[in-house]
Amino acid sequence: MKYIDNPQRLAGLLGQLWQGLGITMSLFAYTLLFSLPLGLLLALARMSWHKPVRWPVQFFILVMRGTPLILQVFTVYFVLPMVFGAAFERLTAVVIAFVMNYSAYFAEIYRGGVEAVPVGQREAAHVLGFTRSQAFMHIILPQVVKRIVLPVSNEVITLVKDTALVTAVGLVELYRVARNAANAVGSIEPLFIAGAVYLIINAVVSFLFNRANEHFGYYQG
Amino acid sequence: MKRCLTLVLALAMLLSLSISAAAEEDKSLQDILDKGKLILGLDASFPPMGFVDADTGEIVGFDIDLAKEVCARLGVELVCQPIDWAAKEMELNAHHIDCIWNGMTITPERLENMSISLPYLKNDQVLVTRTADGYKTLSDLAGKKLGIQAGSSANDALDGTAEFKATLGEIIPFEENLTALMDLNQGGLDTVLVDVIVANYYMTVNSYPFTILKESLAPEEYGIGFRKGDAALCKKVNEILLAMREDGTLAKISNDWFGTDITII
Repeated sequence: MKYIDNPQRLAGLLGQLWQGLGITMSLFAYTLLFSLPLGLLLALARMSWHKPVRWPVQFFILVMRGTPLILQVFTVYFVLPMVFGAAFERLTAVVIAFVMNYSAYFAEIYRGGVEAVPVGQREAAHVLGFTRSQAFMHIILPQVVKRIVLPVSNEVITLVKDTALVTAVGLVELYRVARNAANAVGSIEPLFIAGAVYLIINAVVSFLFNRANEHFGYYQG
Repeated sequence: MKRCLTLVLALAMLLSLSISAAAEEDKSLQDILDKGKLILGLDASFPPMGFVDADTGEIVGFDIDLAKEVCARLGVELVCQPIDWAAKEMELNAHHIDCIWNGMTITPERLENMSISLPYLKNDQVLVTRTADGYKTLSDLAGKKLGIQAGSSANDALDGTAEFKATLGEIIPFEENLTALMDLNQGGLDTVLVDVIVANYYMTVNSYPFTILKESLAPEEYGIGFRKGDAALCKKVNEILLAMREDGTLAKISNDWFGTDITII
């Protein structure tokens, strides 16, 4: 035990973890901020009747879900500078990669939500004089929101842990801080302290999604 | 349309001209002086060369003290940029960092891809064993399990001694030397092949019951890696290191970290 019985060193580690947490939470927040709406656009394009719209999006989703996220991070950070000449900031590069990756997953979750609504409801809306966009906004979308809460919560929880991947481009986030400390003191104890921090974050995320799920459960009696 | 194409071609030619001109003239040293800082790339988990101090959170180490002094003499600021060790060449070539200075072993492969400074420290790849097992020689390790850090120069040393490698029972790669040594301590391995400097560090901080075999694999040297072609910068750093040898600064920094002067410039 190199930390539990050494409060001064523990305080030092917690201070460093706090700094790492800043990177972790920035990446987490930016990724959700951009990928949740972008995923909706992708889902709509993926469901388009026009093949020139649908196919490129289908291909994009295939690539984003079909290749390792770490490789996508590498591509944005190391390959795009060769193409465009200028490099992104480290955090900017990983946010771009994470947004592209997560929006592909969200798009498919949204699509699943939309397609779960029976076709008969659209037909009924049409008969009642709703336009297609009115039917989508007022009848389909509210039902989609209820259905996707739990699948989205899975992705969000995964995202919290995926942020640890970004050490590959030299960002010192939560897990990297712990690894550096582990190597300096010769014990993996710091990794468990970092693990506790991830658990606390995800306990909060789970709580919020459970509340949302209850809120949207208004037809469940 | 045609005019547009001509314009694009002219631009492309101009671009290629300016690129080739830049390649001929080595501005690596002037660039560093102009921007007033040297960005040093390191895997900040490599004690005692470069690592995060557990108490202060600062990046410290033998290499860092050395680099600070070199930068002071260059008149520029030292910026330590943590990187992933596996991506070091990419970081360098993408101009995200100016040099790799982190106990980097000089290997023929790296010499091909980088401009490397004078060797400044001697390193041995040693075999760490549990004292209780009583292994004395390389031949005692026949059929045994060896742990090694993936992607480290220990792999090159092992490949360089093919007869020994062939006698081993199993070679198990680890992400970090720390976890390999922990596995050795709990009996999952019989030996770990690692830099002697790293082995000594962990044996001191953890007081493991380990012994280093007297026989070591090929001796190695540490060097500072610059972008291939950044010869002016590399030459200047060499000159400063030689001056530090002369006035005793190098010996002093080595004494601070190792208790003795083990530098070889």
